[in-house]
Amino acid sequence: MSLIRISWRNLWRNRRRTAITMAAISLNTMILITTYSLMDGLLGQTARNATQLSTGEAQLHAPGYLLDRSQYKTLSDHRAILTTLHEQSIGAAPRTYGYGLVSQGTKSAGALFWGIEPPVEQTAFRLAEHLAEGSFLGPSPHKELVLGKKLARSLNAQVGSEIVVLVQAADGSMGNDIFTVKGILKSVGEGIDRNAAIMHLDDFRLLFVMPEGIHEIAVTTNGRAPLETLTETLSRIAPHAEVRTWRQLLPTLSDMIEISGTSMSLFGAIFFLAAGLGVMNTMLMATYERAHEFGLLKALGASPWRIVRDVTVEAWLMACIATLFGMLLGLAASYALQEAGLDTSKLAGEINVAGVVFDPVWRASLSFKAVVHPVIIMWMVCILAALYPAAMSARLDPVKSMHQV
Amino acid sequence: MKADIKNMTPCKTPAVGMLSLPALLKIVLFLSMFLGLFSYLSVHPALAESLTAKEILDKVDDLYRGTSSHGKMTMEVVTSHWKRTLSLEFWSKGKDKSLVRIIAPLKEKGTATLRSGNEIWNYLPKVNRVVKLPSSMMSASWMGSHFTNDDLVKQSRFADDYTFEVTREGMRDGQEVVEITCIPKPEAPVVWGKVEVVVRRSDYLPLVNRYYDEGLHLARTMTFSDVKTLSGRSLPTVMTLTPEDKPGEKTQVSYDSITLDVSLNDDVFSLRNLQQ
Repeated sequence: MSLIRISWRNLWRNRRRTAITMAAISLNTMILITTYSLMDGLLGQTARNATQLSTGEAQLHAPGYLLDRSQYKTLSDHRAILTTLHEQSIGAAPRTYGYGLVSQGTKSAGALFWGIEPPVEQTAFRLAEHLAEGSFLGPSPHKELVLGKKLARSLNAQVGSEIVVLVQAADGSMGNDIFTVKGILKSVGEGIDRNAAIMHLDDFRLLFVMPEGIHEIAVTTNGRAPLETLTETLSRIAPHAEVRTWRQLLPTLSDMIEISGTSMSLFGAIFFLAAGLGVMNTMLMATYERAHEFGLLKALGASPWRIVRDVTVEAWLMACIATLFGMLLGLAASYALQEAGLDTSKLAGEINVAGVVFDPVWRASLSFKAVVHPVIIMWMVCILAALYPAAMSARLDPVKSMHQV
Repeated sequence: MKADIKNMTPCKTPAVGMLSLPALLKIVLFLSMFLGLFSYLSVHPALAESLTAKEILDKVDDLYRGTSSHGKMTMEVVTSHWKRTLSLEFWSKGKDKSLVRIIAPLKEKGTATLRSGNEIWNYLPKVNRVVKLPSSMMSASWMGSHFTNDDLVKQSRFADDYTFEVTREGMRDGQEVVEITCIPKPEAPVVWGKVEVVVRRSDYLPLVNRYYDEGLHLARTMTFSDVKTLSGRSLPTVMTLTPEDKPGEKTQVSYDSITLDVSLNDDVFSLRNLQQ
């Protein structure tokens, strides 16, 4: 206890210098906490958008389906799989896909048709809430379509427009029909925006002459299960299916998240280095001024280790007080950014992160990790920075140093 | 996209433009290219005894381009998942106007495709609508298709867009043949790395066209067979296209009847007539 009291007194022997250094450490800590929270918010939001809208945390396909998206590679035991998933309260939605042509008047475009079960889809995923116009598909088939934003624009289609649909059915015949636009999606991501034409699974089965089977089961636990556990569970439930996590399905996004982790570490390293150099400078000055005291201590029999301990404890104490302030400031800033968010829509319009659309309001996400990591690392940096001045003091020659003043 | 066309592989990603079209459409498009065959021969009745390589290629090229024709044909498409046979009626005029209408099976009866210049329109009787093929699909490879749109609409000519030489002359399968190897010129709008054209020496009718991709691997083979006398001419009446990467799959066209140099009004190739 007396050690801390002595350190405390020593710190305030030069109030202004200590206060300035502590202000620098506080500021660094605050910036790091805020930046980490903002970054967590961005990545979390992006991953949520990517997974909870439609991709899911994992997907099941027939083996090889993702390679060529052949409409003949179907999951046949999907009913059993869906029932089991439902029993384990894992959200899951079955889907079928097929390519074709959509046309309105003289406008026409290629499309990727989705066949979905609207009630199931709506329970598991949030695509249905993500509409710019109109409403989502109803529970029964009425030859209605929900179109991707850019696809609707290129067809000049509005809610209520009649769209001619032309596809190659599974039996080789030409499936064609007229559908009505029920809704138009908000921007989701490049693929869906340009291509998606979503219809009721029963309509899809008639159009594509595909009475059985589905192409995909998208699975979500809303973040409750870690990906590894989920993959294991899925492989057990559907041993014949190919299990892919969203990190494998959206490699660009996954890579981007990894890269941001690395770049955040670099960013942090620069701030820690700056803080560390500040602390080192302060402690060098403080120990230099007290060279005669250390000399005297040594002459009285203090071991070099004791001097090292005194100096590092002093630095650590300074770090503790400074990071306490920094933490409070960082918490306040992050909390404000979490509650209010940054409205980026006025600055940059629509932001697209690795093909996944980002919400216009950028919110920070406060986590224990984002607060504690900067604080602990800051302590270690301060202690490390103090080691050099401490070692210098410990190695002083008692006689020479007592002569100095 | 280009690689897809070359390798004749199905689309691997749900990207725009790489879309599947009904096999039927590609069939009728393919036919529209084949239509000129008879018209050409009617204006060039007597063949010289010995043609140069250029003359042979011009002749093969012009098989697909002519003045006018009207007839019926049967189309058989075999894929690993389905097999179907269609009866078709066709009309063609000049280089770039053609109309093909399905007669059977009943489910698709009346469905028609009109090609006018670079535009392709389809009439769908079930919904009574005309649909224009989007330009993104004109250059796209069709999933599961044995043909590409480029084959059908592009007007490349062997003698103009390729450098060529006679690489083989001799007997094959009991008849004297001439094989000409064509390498595309660097700037030519062609997706192939090499094309071999084999004709028979006796009348220079085509026997086989072999298409190689840019890695010079055989991508597909077009076989001409069943030379018959139709409308007073001796002609190969069956064409079979087999893709190398899909063993067992093929598309075969055979002529049932044909009338050449019929007088056809331009109205036949109008959108109004399409939606008849």
